[in-house]
Amino acid sequence: MLIQTNLTQVETVTKYFFTGLLIFLAIALFFCLLRAVIGPRIVDRIMAVNMMGTVVMVMIGILAILLKEGYLVDIALIYAMISFLAVVIITKVYMGIYRQNKEEDGKERE
Amino acid sequence: MSRLKSSEEYSRTKAFKFFRWLGGSKDPYIDTVESRHPEEEKYTDEELEKIDEEKRLSREKAYDLGQNKYLRAFECAYKILAALFCVFFAFVLIYNVSYLPPSGAAERPVNNEVSERYIEKGLEETGAVNIVAGMILDYRAFDTLGESHVLFTATITVLILMRLDKKKDEKGDKADRASRYEPYDVILQVAAAVLVPVIMIFGIYVILNGHISPGGGFSGGAIIGAGLILYLNAFGFEKTERFFTEKLYKRVTFGSLAFYALAKCYSFFCGANHLESGISTGTPGAIISAGLILPLNIAVGLVVACTMYAFYAHFRKGGF
Amino acid sequence: MEWLRLIVGALLLIIGMCIFAVEIFGVFRFKFSLNRMHAAAMGDTLGITVSLLGLMIISGFNYTTLKMALIVVFLWCSSPVSSHLLARLEVMTNGKIEKHAEIFYSVEELENSTEETITDYREMEED
Repeated sequence: MLIQTNLTQVETVTKYFFTGLLIFLAIALFFCLLRAVIGPRIVDRIMAVNMMGTVVMVMIGILAILLKEGYLVDIALIYAMISFLAVVIITKVYMGIYRQNKEEDGKERE
Repeated sequence: MSRLKSSEEYSRTKAFKFFRWLGGSKDPYIDTVESRHPEEEKYTDEELEKIDEEKRLSREKAYDLGQNKYLRAFECAYKILAALFCVFFAFVLIYNVSYLPPSGAAERPVNNEVSERYIEKGLEETGAVNIVAGMILDYRAFDTLGESHVLFTATITVLILMRLDKKKDEKGDKADRASRYEPYDVILQVAAAVLVPVIMIFGIYVILNGHISPGGGFSGGAIIGAGLILYLNAFGFEKTERFFTEKLYKRVTFGSLAFYALAKCYSFFCGANHLESGISTGTPGAIISAGLILPLNIAVGLVVACTMYAFYAHFRKGGF
Repeated sequence: MEWLRLIVGALLLIIGMCIFAVEIFGVFRFKFSLNRMHAAAMGDTLGITVSLLGLMIISGFNYTTLKMALIVVFLWCSSPVSSHLLARLEVMTNGKIEKHAEIFYSVEELENSTEETITDYREMEED
């Protein structure tokens, strides 16, 4: 991943530490995905996807420091915006459809 | 209508038929192609109930897992085979990836003379620190114009397909579904009032810094469109209709595309041979530099933002 | 100085990872979806705040740090709102919610309720 020579001691330690963190976060990501697959209700699934977004944001931040590319943080910011927007729209649309179906069912029963 | 021939004579000429076909006053299929509606099947209510009952019974028999052993075996085999297929496919993909040359290696096929030229002379010729912006908006500006037009065409197509009829609108079929069934949320409104300006400013920052840092028209426009959609979700269609109408959409999109085409036309007509444009590239790294890249970025960003919002509004409501 | 910055940042990052671990444990431990959501929402906000604080300390002060601070502020504003919307969706769509939780539709209702009327739902399991 990193082809660098002449690292100082601090940089070597940082590199290995960050690699370990990334591995841990990948495992966490897998468990979030598991929750999204088995989640019995729709709320669990949306919430698990939101959690995955948070974990990915931390990963992008770590990568930005590790690769010394500051612009990667911009992507994390866009990620935060898009995941928030996704939750807002999915909940709104789902609530609207649920209420509409309920009302139509009530009309049919009458 | 011809003056030399009488109307009866004229109606037999080919010109008359051609203009009639062009004007659409005669449907060529009527009276020439045999077309009949299929006869409706007539059943009494009792017969209909009987048919429904038979269908239900046979369906229950076919999908009863306790009785139908073939179905159970099939379901079991289907699940196992699907899992096996996924694992096999993932294995094949990972195995192939392991053969790719490492990232940044000299023997990668992308590292040819084209990228060499872009990397070595890009900054000097376009004045953009971000080589990608210099590539897509200077060397390959024609390509980007086509991409913007694809977005515009897609919006027009969605407009045709999803547009509401006036009659349906009066009934209130889909248009006020959003306002009737989706509750307004005070907490979301307060959060949106804080967050939407931040999102907008970030989008403008990404667009204006397109030639200095990664980003540019497409990503910045997407961010601004996301901010508009968030505002729409929090406050409803009544508020957004005040400033974002079909007229505004048309004007902004046409204006941006026309500006893009006119600003870059000298390059298109010369086959992108990089004629001297007379616009100085400025000092690399400053906001106002890199010639035409900054205004072109703004034009692309406007088109993308309008497209995002128009898509969302059409699919939700069927209009702006 | 560099070592000190690395150690402080690494400690904060490890705390953040612990918060993420607790969050995932909670998401799998609880039986009712609103409880799971609570664990996830708390863990998300606190975990990313602490982790990004650690990263900010490691990277030193520059534009990247400011952008990370902006992410933290943005998430503080947006994450509670999304949790609120999700909870509202769950309350609206779950028909059996009265089994697991008590719902007060207005503030007055909540204030009028006494301690005794609030039942203990901790031992009940989701069917």
